[in-house]
Amino acid sequence: MLVVRPAKPADLPGLERLAGTATPRLTNLPAHRDRLEERITRSQRSLSRDIEFPGDESYTFVLEDLERGEIAGTATIRAQAGAHEAYYTYRQETLIHASQQLNVRREVQTLSLSHEVSEATLLCALSLDPRYKGTSAESLLRRSRLMFIAQYPERFAELLAIAFPGYLDADGESPFWNSVGRHFFARGYQEMNHLAGVRSKSFIAEVMPQFPLYLPLLTPAARAAIGREHPAHESALAEMLAEGFARSRHVDIFDAGPVIKAERERLATFRHSTWHPVRIRPATALPDAEPALIANQKLEGFRCVVARYALSPTGQLMLSPEHAAELGVEEGRAVLAAPLGLPDADDAFDEGEL
Amino acid sequence: MRIRPIARGDLDGLQRLARETGVGFTSLPDNRDFLAGKIESAARAFEERVPAEERLYFFVLEDDETGELAGCCAIEAQVGREVPFYHYRVGTLAHSSVQLDLHRTIDTLFLSSDHTGDAEVASLYLRPEYRRHRNGALLSKARWLFMAQFRSGFPDKVLAEMRGKFDANGISPFWQCLGSHFFPMDFNEADRLTGLGQKSFIGELMPKFPIYTPFLTEEARACIGAVHDDTRPALEMLKKEGLRWEGYIDIFDGGPTVEAYIDDVRAVRHSRLCPVEVAGSEPEATERPAWLVATTEMADFRAAWVGRGPGADGTLTLSDTEARRLGVTTGDSLRVLET
Repeated sequence: MLVVRPAKPADLPGLERLAGTATPRLTNLPAHRDRLEERITRSQRSLSRDIEFPGDESYTFVLEDLERGEIAGTATIRAQAGAHEAYYTYRQETLIHASQQLNVRREVQTLSLSHEVSEATLLCALSLDPRYKGTSAESLLRRSRLMFIAQYPERFAELLAIAFPGYLDADGESPFWNSVGRHFFARGYQEMNHLAGVRSKSFIAEVMPQFPLYLPLLTPAARAAIGREHPAHESALAEMLAEGFARSRHVDIFDAGPVIKAERERLATFRHSTWHPVRIRPATALPDAEPALIANQKLEGFRCVVARYALSPTGQLMLSPEHAAELGVEEGRAVLAAPLGLPDADDAFDEGEL
Repeated sequence: MRIRPIARGDLDGLQRLARETGVGFTSLPDNRDFLAGKIESAARAFEERVPAEERLYFFVLEDDETGELAGCCAIEAQVGREVPFYHYRVGTLAHSSVQLDLHRTIDTLFLSSDHTGDAEVASLYLRPEYRRHRNGALLSKARWLFMAQFRSGFPDKVLAEMRGKFDANGISPFWQCLGSHFFPMDFNEADRLTGLGQKSFIGELMPKFPIYTPFLTEEARACIGAVHDDTRPALEMLKKEGLRWEGYIDIFDGGPTVEAYIDDVRAVRHSRLCPVEVAGSEPEATERPAWLVATTEMADFRAAWVGRGPGADGTLTLSDTEARRLGVTTGDSLRVLET
């Protein structure tokens, strides 16, 4: 059985391993023991505090394979993307240069540094053991965070955002970084990415060009990378778009990876999640049903699993004793359930403002 | 040879000059209506019929034996008053972080109208067959004597725009890399419209945000502040007068704009007024012209080389020919500069 739960200090070796195997390496998940240890401590502190509105909390979860006794994945929620320092993105903008005299009108694309996403809640630092790729574990790890947010809305912003890793070429080089950031740092992408993870991304952002960049002056390879996700994250992006996230005008300042965002009420997991009282039935006696994300109603003891969405005629959710035990629920207690399957969504692009 | 204000009868001669100047000489397009307008406005300037800050003083170099026009030059009293006057200022931005042990400086082009209200010396052209006997220096320096004489009609500063670098095919790499993205026309067309004074399109189409030079090609960066080979002698002459490049460049071709406080210009500081005496016999003259003189009346302004400087008593002795060329006689004053 696979379960998502808050990270604890004993998970540190597992987190270190996942940080090291993340493809590509993530700025916000550095393979650095002290940083990861801090992250677990911070997550535990965030869970233990009474919170009335989002601040600098961060919640780190792990995906545990109970049969193997292994940590198979991790993911984090930052209550506010830029709580104690600004969260920087580049915002794609269009300027119109028109001359009545010449009867011409020209659209010029620019990238402007922005702090607009700072207020949003950020889903980040996701790494899954490659052996679980293509299974429901992916969706469980990704969307269990939404199940958590649905239960504790006061801890998070109305707006959720995810920054997907940007396009890297076959050599692991970022064409965007090479055309933009490199001029200002004289360092390679991987080195900068590591530094940003271990130190802080925002003080690096402070050295980035502060004035808008004119896209026609960037290399074609850099322009093509703007808003393009890393090939390893195509399916993850597709799932989150189906969930109800929309592409935004914002991209990452290092690799120009896409930032997607959504008001949480628009997300399928929020709209379709329902509370059900539990009825426990032997696994063999459970009727066939579509899979669902099932989460308990405990803050520090949060658990989320994938189980069958088997409802009794009176609206009770039928769980196996094993699932009920793992969720820590007895018969009659309530759990939150949301269908694992998502409607097909168009590749939505949000033309509106944050 | 003498410098005099352009006159209403000079249209044919001026158009001949305009045909010769070619691309890159924006202020003298081969357009008869435009040139006629230019002459009229210059004539009105010398007649002091327009306010001092709006005047365009346009001079010609005349072969006083044949009446032929050998070249031209101009002073605009104040640029940027009617239409915006743009440059890029090459500035430096520090990108530095103690935590990262990083300190870099990035050259950045800032769009600027800093020179609004400054005087401009411009439109200097000398026909190839007259490029001898210091005629080029006469064209260039006569303007300083004019400004010294009518100092109150000019602002504090003066500038000169130098033609930028072009490749073997006559293309500006700076334009190719930067301007061409923003102006839906080729360099010559943009340049032509600028020359016609139709500059408003520049402001409308220009990139308004600073341009980080690392985003430009190497060839384009090499054009920043670099002059066209043909313009080098003119630049050297201005530098000798004390004009300096302070980091301003042309927005189209990246050529440097040099500038100075008018009171600091060598020729302005060193010129002085001397009484004139026309000699009965032919006075001695130096082989190479070394003394530049100019008259003191605006409408009848004349400037020319003379064969000698003032004597011990401060009086300048002129030959008959020199006096006729300048339109002066004994008892008049001339502004004199040793060069």
